[in-house]
Amino acid sequence: MQDLIMQIFNDATAAISTAQTEQDIEAVRIKYLGKNGELTKILKQMGTLSPEERPVVGQLANKVRQDIEKAIADAKGAIKEKALQLQLEAERVDITMPGIKHKIGGLHPLNIVLNDLIDIFVSMGFDVGDGPEVETDYYNFEALNVPADHPARDMQDTFYIGNNLLLRTQTSAAQIRTMENHKPPIRIICPGRVFRSDEVDATHSPVFHQVEGLVVDKGITMCDLKGTLEQFVHEIYGSETKVQFRPSFFPFTEPSVEVDVSCPECGGKGCHICKDTGWIEILGAGMVHPKVLSICGIDPEVYSGFAFGVGLDRLTTTRYKISDIRLLFENDLRFLEQF
Amino acid sequence: MKVSLLWLKQYVDIDVPVEELCRKMIMSGFEVESVEDLSQTMNNVVVGRILKLEKHPNADRLQVCLVDVGGTEPIQIITGADNVFEGALVPVALHNSKLPNGMQIKKGKLRGVESHGMLCSGAELCLKEDDYKGAEVNGILILNEDYKPGTDMRDVLDLNDVIIDFAVTANRPDCQSVIGIAREIAVVLNKELKLPKPEYKTVGDDINKYISITVEDYNLCPRYMGRMVKNLRIKESPGWMKKFLKSAGVRSINNIVDITNFVMLETGQPMHAFDYNDIKGSKIIVRTAKNGERIATLDGKEHTLNSEMLVIADAENPSCLAGIIGSENSGIKDNTTDLFLECAKFRRDNIRKTSRALGVRTESSSRFEKGVDILNVEYAMNRALQLIYELDAGDIIEGVIDCNKGLPKDREISVSVDSINQLLGINVPADTMCEILNQLQISTTLENGTLHCRIPSFRDDIEGRADIAEEIIRVYGYDHIVGTTMRGNITRGKLTKDRTVTDKIKSRLISHGFREITTYSFISGKALDTLCLNADDPRRNTVTILNPLGEEYSTMRTQLITSMLTVISTNYNRKNLAARLFEVSKLFVPKSLPVTEQPNEIPAMSIGLYGKGEDFFTLKGIIEDIYSLFGMDVGFARSDEPYLHPGRQAKVVYNGKQVAVLGEVHPKVASLYDLDIRVYVSEIQLLPIIEAPAKQVIYKPLPKFPAVIRDLALVCDVDTPVGTIEKTIRDTTGDLLEELELFDIYQGEQIEKGKKSVAYRITLRSHTATLTDEQVSEVINKTVKSLEAFGVYLRQ
Repeated sequence: MQDLIMQIFNDATAAISTAQTEQDIEAVRIKYLGKNGELTKILKQMGTLSPEERPVVGQLANKVRQDIEKAIADAKGAIKEKALQLQLEAERVDITMPGIKHKIGGLHPLNIVLNDLIDIFVSMGFDVGDGPEVETDYYNFEALNVPADHPARDMQDTFYIGNNLLLRTQTSAAQIRTMENHKPPIRIICPGRVFRSDEVDATHSPVFHQVEGLVVDKGITMCDLKGTLEQFVHEIYGSETKVQFRPSFFPFTEPSVEVDVSCPECGGKGCHICKDTGWIEILGAGMVHPKVLSICGIDPEVYSGFAFGVGLDRLTTTRYKISDIRLLFENDLRFLEQF
Repeated sequence: MKVSLLWLKQYVDIDVPVEELCRKMIMSGFEVESVEDLSQTMNNVVVGRILKLEKHPNADRLQVCLVDVGGTEPIQIITGADNVFEGALVPVALHNSKLPNGMQIKKGKLRGVESHGMLCSGAELCLKEDDYKGAEVNGILILNEDYKPGTDMRDVLDLNDVIIDFAVTANRPDCQSVIGIAREIAVVLNKELKLPKPEYKTVGDDINKYISITVEDYNLCPRYMGRMVKNLRIKESPGWMKKFLKSAGVRSINNIVDITNFVMLETGQPMHAFDYNDIKGSKIIVRTAKNGERIATLDGKEHTLNSEMLVIADAENPSCLAGIIGSENSGIKDNTTDLFLECAKFRRDNIRKTSRALGVRTESSSRFEKGVDILNVEYAMNRALQLIYELDAGDIIEGVIDCNKGLPKDREISVSVDSINQLLGINVPADTMCEILNQLQISTTLENGTLHCRIPSFRDDIEGRADIAEEIIRVYGYDHIVGTTMRGNITRGKLTKDRTVTDKIKSRLISHGFREITTYSFISGKALDTLCLNADDPRRNTVTILNPLGEEYSTMRTQLITSMLTVISTNYNRKNLAARLFEVSKLFVPKSLPVTEQPNEIPAMSIGLYGKGEDFFTLKGIIEDIYSLFGMDVGFARSDEPYLHPGRQAKVVYNGKQVAVLGEVHPKVASLYDLDIRVYVSEIQLLPIIEAPAKQVIYKPLPKFPAVIRDLALVCDVDTPVGTIEKTIRDTTGDLLEELELFDIYQGEQIEKGKKSVAYRITLRSHTATLTDEQVSEVINKTVKSLEAFGVYLRQ
């Protein structure tokens, strides 16, 4: 009987090893281990054995049963694994095919750049403020140390709305409102829309955007102005960028400077972008004029401060190398979708 | 301010290359607008003398010239011109020369005869009659003075010069002159400034015998100085003067006019020369004009004056708009024999106002309106007299009439060295400060750490510590300023609520596929008509610009729809087939008309969309999402905007007030924007959202018990709004309702005419127990009953 059991074991393992599918395996299981399977039949005949033989044969039969079960399980696993391999093989995709587009919108490039600016200055402790776009002559000029019929008014062509009312030509107007309403320490930026009666062309727009910055506190120096602008410039143009001050004139700051950065295109070697100077002008700045502080009720003997005005449109066009400012206001989807 | 380098060199020794000069000036506050090296315009063009002329052997029209160009041998040149003659001095372009018109000349053969260059016409050298007499003659330019053959034509034409255009900022009127610029150059190059010392002799006599001067308004004319010159000898100016005038773009007229112009350019002080014999009553009266008084000016225009305008009058009429322009006949003529010379200071804002009111701008007015130095008046006068004397242009009469109410003394400003360094944030040595200020002609002494500065009258702009600091640092060099991090009070940066709310809406729209647009705040006044607004629509009350760039940019927006439609039109007509767009901007709503105070600036947002798959409900879904983002419970109601489809528009109502409108654009309006498709727009007021109470999110436990889903297919009249069905379902299911979804609406053959089928999926769930079938049926039956009450039945 033991020989018979071993015979069954050999037949069964041989059958398993040649099985190709799960069905083949199942057929083997039924043939040998099923209710009427060959091994089952043997076990049913156990009663015919002598008491001495019974445990020996029983042990053998159980072991063979376990071995066959294990072989079946292994074979099933192998077949499944193989089937999975085949399936995965068959499911190969051409990864060079394009991804499926998900239509997501986006901000206007001006606001992408503005948001970067806001993040930078907020991280330096600046508040973000606002001011009216229709301003009075007082806030746009007079309080900024530009009296009526002063030649400095020629620096900007103004749209007038009515008696003493105009479209603000500079976000600096928001400076005065801030200083009137807040006591130092003041750290604020005021982004906004400004207007000048420039004819529309590739570099001029009657509507454009500025970000005004203002700091007033005890002991604020010109070096602080440079340090603050350097931090800003490093975030925008990269940490290698250098900042240069050039003397200039604004009625509401003294000393006043134009601020240049080393040309982001050529790194300062000179190229067509910077007209071979190695520098591009990005903003005007200066120490708040003592008269302006006084007008706002801040004692210039105790406090000092600096102000700066960034042209957002220019910052945007230089960052993205946009050649014509009109594109910003035309809103062609093929333009907008690039940002 | 365009300045000739040769002219500048009269006053300061410039021994650095032009590039370095420009760089140093830029870094001390004078931007360079342009540099024009006149010598670059031509090269290898010299004076030649024609020695011999012969007919060309092979061409009737050509002549063969033998020309002495200063070399050891004369050269042979062929010319087609017929105005040349033996002995003539002519410009010769040699082999490998470049002409101002871009021509390159090389030797070659003309009809078999060698030609080693070209004889030039005035046109080929880009010369006009004013540049050189005879330049516009047809043919070769015949030089009318004696030059050595071989002389560089650039020397003949005064082209060995560089014209630099310095931008002068509004605070530096003293630099509107060659001397002013030279003074700055002397500082940056650390050189001495050499100014002409005016000296001249008079012929005696007495000015008071000739003229009297009355200044009626010293406020508008703080100083008026007059001198007399008799026996004028009007003639051409000398070459050097013409050359300098030309470098500044001023035409030479005659010696007297040229002297006044020269002195203005040199010193920055405008002057006026009167023909003495035209001054009626021998009186000069500086007065304001009478209202309605008229004057015909030199430029051929006639002006009507008012009492704010200052004139220089004689006993009868105004003969000059003070500081701006002379009258037609007041000037110097070829036969003028006696001269009254005016040199004055007029109040700058008054000149500016008059010049703008009358639309007359001159070299003189532009200097007066920026401001001239009251002390420089005398220097300029003396300088003019010196030139009259040196050029023998007339006999100077003894005596000066100088009307003023006292002349200012140099102002004194004392400022501590420490306070300047505190402002700058660096340590500039006190001695250096002193040195720089003295170089700038601000005479300064240092005493116990304090600078005592005497401010010269030409530096009106220097008023205090900040100005002194600027003078020091711009010369000391801004590269000494090193970046530091601000010390002191720490402040926390934050955004306004307007901005945080707006940003939140924007990012939500972006996730729905919307692109942000930016358009001008002003539109055409006619744009409102495209929206078919009623005559009394409040949006027609607009803020308008008094001096717009044109009608199309004249009106501040009271709505954002027209701009949105314009952008949609641009996109659609450029074959962008679909778009989702939004804009955030301000509306300008006047408080009263006409506008007397600042208008209300109301933040608003427009949304626009078109393309496949878009309809009223895609737009409505977006709008619903925006309000739910802020937890605002809004309702929709029919609206009556004239620019929207009457059956496909709604207003959004929040707390009983309209806060937005949305809908499909009326086809008539769309066609005005060249849109033959369906376009959907919305305008949303942002203030209600900004001011809405913040949305409170409180966590709800995840459900422990299963949900039950029931589908209800209902039939009702076509006109029954589904909103009422929904409301009934919500009311009757109450807290058990988890979700209500309208998943089908059907109208057609399967259904009775005039009816529609509406299918809802209702999700019910209790948070305290598993719902039993009985409970669910009870709720659903109740719902169905309520619906039946207004004619909505289960579909059979």
